[in-house]
Amino acid sequence: MDSTHLEALAQEERDRQGKYKRRIFCCTSTACLSAGAAITHNTLDQALAQCQCDEEEAEIVPTGCMGLCSQGPLVRVEIQNHAPLLYGNVSADVAQQIVTEHIPLSANEEDALDDDSIDATTPHDFMHLRASGAKKSLERFIIPLDSPFFAKQVRVVLTETGQINPEKLDDYLAHDGYQALAHVLAEMSPEDVCEEILNSGLRGRGGAGFPTGLKWKLANQELASEKYVIVNGDEGDPGAYMDRTVMEDDPHRVLEGMIICAYATGATSGYLYIRGEYPIAIRRIRRAIQAARRRGILGKSVLGTEFSFDAEIRIGAGAFVCGEETALIHSIEGQRGIPRIRPPYPTAAGLRDRPTVINNVETMANVPSIINKGAAWFASIGTDKSKGTKVFALAGQLRNTGLIEVPMGITLQEIVYEIGGGVPEGREFKAAQTGGPSGGCIPKAHLDTPIDYESLRQLGSIMGSGGLVIIDDSTLMPDFARFFIDFCVDESCGKCVPCRVGTVQIREQLDKIIGGNAGPEDLDRLENLCNVVKKTSLCGLGQSAPNPVLSTLKYFRDEYEALLKVKTADVTNN
Amino acid sequence: MLNIVIDGQPIEVQPGTTIMEASRANGIDIPYLCYHPDLSISGGCRLCMVEIEGRADPVPSCGQACQDKMVIHTQSKQLSQLRREIIDLFLADHPLDCVICEKAGSCLLQKYAYEYGLTKTSHKFNVSRSLYQDDNPFFVRDHKYCILCSRCVRACSEIVGADAIEIVGRGFESHVATPFDGPMIDSTCVFCGSCVQVCPTAALMPVSRAGKGREWEMERIETICGYCGVGCKIEYALKDGEICYAQGVSEQSVNGDFLCTKGRYGWDFATNPDRLANPMIRRDIAYQLGLTDEPWELPEISPLKVRQPKIGDSFIETDWDTALNLVAERMKDIVQTHGPNAVMGLASARCTNEENYLFQKFIRAGIGTNNVDHCARL
Repeated sequence: MDSTHLEALAQEERDRQGKYKRRIFCCTSTACLSAGAAITHNTLDQALAQCQCDEEEAEIVPTGCMGLCSQGPLVRVEIQNHAPLLYGNVSADVAQQIVTEHIPLSANEEDALDDDSIDATTPHDFMHLRASGAKKSLERFIIPLDSPFFAKQVRVVLTETGQINPEKLDDYLAHDGYQALAHVLAEMSPEDVCEEILNSGLRGRGGAGFPTGLKWKLANQELASEKYVIVNGDEGDPGAYMDRTVMEDDPHRVLEGMIICAYATGATSGYLYIRGEYPIAIRRIRRAIQAARRRGILGKSVLGTEFSFDAEIRIGAGAFVCGEETALIHSIEGQRGIPRIRPPYPTAAGLRDRPTVINNVETMANVPSIINKGAAWFASIGTDKSKGTKVFALAGQLRNTGLIEVPMGITLQEIVYEIGGGVPEGREFKAAQTGGPSGGCIPKAHLDTPIDYESLRQLGSIMGSGGLVIIDDSTLMPDFARFFIDFCVDESCGKCVPCRVGTVQIREQLDKIIGGNAGPEDLDRLENLCNVVKKTSLCGLGQSAPNPVLSTLKYFRDEYEALLKVKTADVTNN
Repeated sequence: MLNIVIDGQPIEVQPGTTIMEASRANGIDIPYLCYHPDLSISGGCRLCMVEIEGRADPVPSCGQACQDKMVIHTQSKQLSQLRREIIDLFLADHPLDCVICEKAGSCLLQKYAYEYGLTKTSHKFNVSRSLYQDDNPFFVRDHKYCILCSRCVRACSEIVGADAIEIVGRGFESHVATPFDGPMIDSTCVFCGSCVQVCPTAALMPVSRAGKGREWEMERIETICGYCGVGCKIEYALKDGEICYAQGVSEQSVNGDFLCTKGRYGWDFATNPDRLANPMIRRDIAYQLGLTDEPWELPEISPLKVRQPKIGDSFIETDWDTALNLVAERMKDIVQTHGPNAVMGLASARCTNEENYLFQKFIRAGIGTNNVDHCARL
């Protein structure tokens, strides 16, 4: 299949979608499914069938994450020539009601809709056709789409998320899917692609922030009989689910980014390494690969060109450390998933000792947009050194939690108080933790810091993959730090001694402090130990494991001191 | 060639040489526990960290290739402190049984604890592994002394090719194990003991040396293994004339640290009373030659039926000259009487290539026959 065929398919799908008067989108992402979205979706389907209306009246579309996961299951109703409506907490009853409210039972009512006396701009107006009581009860579930939660976001990676059926290739095509790939294959040389990505300023979204274009360029320059592309979908930070959402809700975007990367670097095969705890992501990526193969987007001669590339899934077996690139490579090779010493970097000697590009899911998902809209457009978003947007999984003590995509350089203040709606009443904001178990805590005083790689590092935290946990004043910071150290103790692979023994000893020290058995010297010892582990560990896990302790020691030392057996003040007084 | 400077000493190295290799070749000591010159790089012990000018953080010298004009410091206040802290962490997970430990004296961890002045750990003593496995007659696995340097695993996989052991479990709970922690005999282990030799601590110890004495009391004799033609260099550790254990001689060209089962454990014949120490001549021939007064007589019962026939009943001891002269004379007789083709030579795989070459030359040119073969062909 070539690109003209692709365009024809896209047009066909657009026409098909255009003939529906109403499209009802039901989120079937993991967050909503765990809130009961499967029942909601079924009820919508059944209710529509019961209506016995014309086929063009409405379509139920199972789709991806709409962002406000705390209010799930979410259902969005789009009616031609009307502003969309978003419903939250849609149980089976509410779903039934949504269908009966929005879909006319008879032709008479259908005619009434076309009545000029009704203002067609707000969909609320035609609701009077139904019993007014039902209308009122439904209104409670409407989430305003112009609230800061949505208005403050800039969607690049999540453009199609929540808009398309993730299991339908044609739906992605209808949203300009694989246009970037077609353009790259037809008009750009691999070096041009590397240059374009480099110019865009895209940096790795896995956390370390290495310039993606540079990584591709390095792999491109390597001479080897075979090269590989690996998409790292082993997202393991507690509370973070950005990559899961992208893989579940827009799998083709990830594939497209991956194929473009393969073309740019000269890779002929690739792997999507997905953690085993993401069954839906695995299923949808698998279907996406099958669909892409059928359409000639993957496999021999991609889109009818001379370029060939195929991808396979590898499923992680539950080790956090396998998100580290060299451990991930070992895991794919069938070896024990432990990191190895670098250099050589994977771009020189990676999977099976061949040049390998490993990029995070979110990084890959940025690529099609950069190609479509140009490096300059991408570089115009964000800050000086950190370009584009970042997806965060907003969690913790906030009014609105869920998945958000914001431009780099946005302040934590805006995220917490505007997008997140602030801490629930009666509680005070205490700290924001970025970067999962490897990240640090940022106190209220630094809330005006713009979010980018450098600023967060300066504060003793990291960008990480995108977990963002908000803590209120009901949490004690030493307890909080202990929770994350406990996580690192469990997840340390055991290869290097600072991480294997050091994290255990940090936990011992914290237990001593929390148990009220420590003196002031123990705080210094703890800090020193954390610095040793940070400085001498082999991989990123150990190097960042002490961050929660170090940053809480830095900003909330008084809480530690309050737990000491002999208070610091007493010592100085004597 | 690259020009680098290590501790102020200008050094020329081949591209691809690591800082560790360059330092060792030039007599500069960098501490290490997991590094081994014959094994792949692990980088897990973090002791060999060095400072490179222009880099913010210390890097492990074992995995860092030299680059031109690199200026490296292997000693500094920061490095000493970091190394001390790392040994401190090791000691938090390793019992200080040095007073009774048989590895004491050759234990690398003990060596560095001494060099960096640590008498005990400053952390809470917390050993994660307590397994003690003596499931084979050759070596004991005492996991509480294991520091998870993975040298044994790498030696087994990379040098021996047996892949009998691997590190299992995660983090603090990980340990070296056979598949499903089964007995060593059920694994693919060939009992070559290479793992025992590369172990820097007392986690793997030969059974034969248990209770025999301390490392510094042993007399050490180097020799060439007689089991085959490879010619491995072996060092026997003896106490009071008795062999306690055998090991390969590190960084020797033929075998280095590595030996096979026979070389490492098959030495108990050396002090066996049944061992032949001199050449022997059949008693009947010796009587004919006048070497003994006692004639040989057919025993009343077949020697096969005697549980332990005494060799002295049928043979007499003699010296090498007599024995070799006798063989030479008899051989000459046979060749003269029956022709060279009445003789056949069969060489041994335990001889070296050179010895086997000489032997076939002797049979072909000396005796004059092509009837020569080798036991390895049987």
